[in-house]
Amino acid sequence: MQRTNIGEFEELVLLVVAILKDNAYGISVMEEIEQQTGRKINISAVHSALDRLEGKGYLDSRVGGATKERGGRRKRYFSINTAGQTALDAIHEQRNRLYNQINLGLKYVAI
Amino acid sequence: MSPYDHEPPRWSITLLRLYCKPRALEIIEGDAYELFYRRIETEGLKAARRKFSWDVIRFFRLRYIKGLEDFNSLNNISMFKNYFKTAFRSLMKQRFYSFINIAGLALGLAVCLLIVLYISNEVSYDKYHPDVERVYRVANGKSGAWTPARLGMRMKGDLPEVEETVRIQGPFSQTFKIGDRIFKEEQGFNADSTVHKLFEIKFVEGNPDEALTQPNAILLTKSLADKFFNYQSALGKVIKVDGEDVQVTGVIADAPSNTHFKYNYINSYPHESWVTIGNWTGNNFYTYAKLSNGALPTSVETKFDGLAEKYIAPVIIQYSGHSSYEDYLAQGGRKPGISLLPMTDLHLRYPHLALGSSGSIENVYIFSAVALFILIIACINFMNLSTARSAMRSKEVGMRKVMGSVRGQLISQFLVESMLISVSAMVLALGIAALSLDGFNTLANRTFTLNELFALPTLLKLLGLVLVVGLLAGAYPAFVLSAFKPIKALKGESQTGGKGNAALRQGLVAFQFAISIFLIVSTVVVFTQLNFLSKQSLGFEPDQVLVVKNANRLGAKGQSFLNDINRLPSVENATLSSQFVSSGISDWGYQTVEEVPREHSFINMFATDEYLETLGIALVDGRNFSNEVTSDTASILINESAAKWLGWEDPIGRKLSRGVNADYTIVGIVKDFNFESLKREIEPFVIRPMTWDGKAEAGWYAGNYLSLKLSGDYQNTVQSVKAAWERAIPDEPFEFVFLDDAFNDLYVEEERFGKLFTASSGLAIVIACLGLFALAAYTLERKYKEIAVRKVLGASVKSLTLMVISSFTKLVVIGAVIAIPLGYWAMKQWLSDFAYQIDINNPLVWVLPALFVALIAWLTVGYQSIRTASANPIKALRSE
Repeated sequence: MQRTNIGEFEELVLLVVAILKDNAYGISVMEEIEQQTGRKINISAVHSALDRLEGKGYLDSRVGGATKERGGRRKRYFSINTAGQTALDAIHEQRNRLYNQINLGLKYVAI
Repeated sequence: MSPYDHEPPRWSITLLRLYCKPRALEIIEGDAYELFYRRIETEGLKAARRKFSWDVIRFFRLRYIKGLEDFNSLNNISMFKNYFKTAFRSLMKQRFYSFINIAGLALGLAVCLLIVLYISNEVSYDKYHPDVERVYRVANGKSGAWTPARLGMRMKGDLPEVEETVRIQGPFSQTFKIGDRIFKEEQGFNADSTVHKLFEIKFVEGNPDEALTQPNAILLTKSLADKFFNYQSALGKVIKVDGEDVQVTGVIADAPSNTHFKYNYINSYPHESWVTIGNWTGNNFYTYAKLSNGALPTSVETKFDGLAEKYIAPVIIQYSGHSSYEDYLAQGGRKPGISLLPMTDLHLRYPHLALGSSGSIENVYIFSAVALFILIIACINFMNLSTARSAMRSKEVGMRKVMGSVRGQLISQFLVESMLISVSAMVLALGIAALSLDGFNTLANRTFTLNELFALPTLLKLLGLVLVVGLLAGAYPAFVLSAFKPIKALKGESQTGGKGNAALRQGLVAFQFAISIFLIVSTVVVFTQLNFLSKQSLGFEPDQVLVVKNANRLGAKGQSFLNDINRLPSVENATLSSQFVSSGISDWGYQTVEEVPREHSFINMFATDEYLETLGIALVDGRNFSNEVTSDTASILINESAAKWLGWEDPIGRKLSRGVNADYTIVGIVKDFNFESLKREIEPFVIRPMTWDGKAEAGWYAGNYLSLKLSGDYQNTVQSVKAAWERAIPDEPFEFVFLDDAFNDLYVEEERFGKLFTASSGLAIVIACLGLFALAAYTLERKYKEIAVRKVLGASVKSLTLMVISSFTKLVVIGAVIAIPLGYWAMKQWLSDFAYQIDINNPLVWVLPALFVALIAWLTVGYQSIRTASANPIKALRSE
């Protein structure tokens, strides 16, 4: 079983980028996470996670056009690539496999 | 209004643009702006602006901070990177020289650091009191320590310039009894209740304004209170101090280390007439005065004349029998006067007024000079090695010039290099200083801690020092090296480093030798003088004399204690006295009984009749007084100096007087003996009888010290005396001193001074040798081929070694010629403090240190020259 070098928060960001498809950039990712999980996070944390994931080769990025909402500055869109998808699949599969071993479907029992 | 009309805080944008990598800046700024505009809608402008700034601060992560690569456009930065790289490489390439350079400089800096620490502490004394520039010590006359009781009281009332005064006595050591525990505590003072208005005294408990107004009140420092009451509140507790019930009316913060008024506890004054009314003639208080804003101390000094005429004149007339004050002054009577000395000057400039804080401006000067000397030696090493090595770097310089480097850039390159060396030396110096702090504390008699060493101000001073040293020591090599002509440098022509350079190097080495010789000469003189003092006969026998202190505390038990002591077989004699020799004995004024009476203050001691025998003081004329003979209470013994001062042909039987019905007949003359440090001449001295119950002069109790002459096993005797003491008064700690130890203690300062000189001259020699060693190695390396050729042509190892050594010997001689006159002058100055001096015209004192330095130079250079000279010449000549 392969070990993926993705942290908990990075995994979250990677998933959200995959969900957002073509509209994944700093703020949209942050808002999506806040909506879906209720976590309060700072934009700088998202940026740094996106940068790290790109560095690890799970994300690709392109620079988009300038808009008025950003005072004429461009944004950087992120999208998940195959390596990213494989990593997500691997994590997902591993989690499920472990989860399914918990008492073969019985409810949690206090030990 | 549209949200886009608003702007986020200006400073956060500036900050973001300052630190953020250009690559990421646009995206980050964009997101931040987008969030800002959205938040204006949802949360309002204020929150949006605040959150924008917060976001910017949160983006301050390593990932987004500009690195050196982002300054690439600025060529200077990359040049500096290159300088660091080359500097580091050249240091590593010649590890040996670099090590000597850095180690020598680090030693020098460590010494400087410690001395800077010492000096900044010395000059900071008493500066922390509020309004300290208005606080003065009132000295009697020019600089007399003791002042009358009424002075402090009258100054405040009669002179508008004087805002507040306080009278202080001390330091004392007193016995405390808390429950059944007994403590002997030192550094206690008596003070008026105004003391906190002149000195900064922080109250932890108690009311400052009322704490000392009542008699039998005491202020304890926090640490003392904690010790007595085990960290519980001390306020209001009643304790026994020297047997009396005293109430703790306040707990005060411990005195800082840099004050001359180093209290451990402060007693209030009793409401007795000697305090509350007092007089103008007895000098027994220290007086401090705080002047009002803008008042001049000189005007107070002048106005004191008025006070003197009003209050002191009537008393003087009454005593002296003059018809008027003018008459008294006209006949040469001493005019009362005061001087106001700034309190901040007491510690360093008036040590005898500084309540025992043992400062000395001379020590500050000497320490500074020593630090400077050592630093100079270390810097010279640095300069010498750098210029000597310059030849190696000439190709590099030539190359850089060809590639377009201008002189300014080369200068900054070499300065960077010297800075690098001095900063590494600084780090090493901090380590050395931290390790040697304990030794330094003993040497300087201070208690510095590591915290003080690593305090920011000290480190800043060190950094300043390092930058100056780096600049000074680096400037010369930098200018020399950068001036190389590129073509010559590349052809290898300026390899010699130039004739001028060699002369300068030699001059600097000679200067190093001069400083070393000077320091060694000083060490030799200081030690010979101290040795001389300890061998000097004192004129009596202080060996095996045990002085028991606080004998007055025995009170009624005195006689039984004495009987106990006298029964001990190893106690030969016992005698009571008012003071003991070596401890500083006060003087009393006497008048001669003759037609024109003369007045003189004789050093005055009271003692029982066995005193002469106990101390082995010889009688030259007349007889000793006896405690058995009643009429002898009016007898007096004088010493030879007193006899000389009196100038009478036969002083035996003549009289000295202390006023009406107080005439004393001279019955004997004792041989002169040193009752004080040998720094002082023997002064006129008198001994008057004391009865065995310790009483003298009209029932006044004076038997404070019991001196015992012991024989045989004195260790056991001390134990027996102690046991007898504890039987008599268990509440009072047994305190004693051996007289010879007490005398040796008088020279503690001098011994410290001697150690300082040994340490500093040792260090100077070590640093100078390090430099010499490296320089010699370098010189020989350059002469490698020359020596080989000479050897091939028939020179012997011996003659080659001598050739090298003789060139260095010349430098030692030059150094000696500079150092010896300077040393002679400086040591004459130092010796002038002593009444008994060694003869420094002895040529050995001067020649031996020079020879010693020469020997060290020969060893340093000789080792290497023999190695070079005995090497196989083929190796040197084989390759071109």
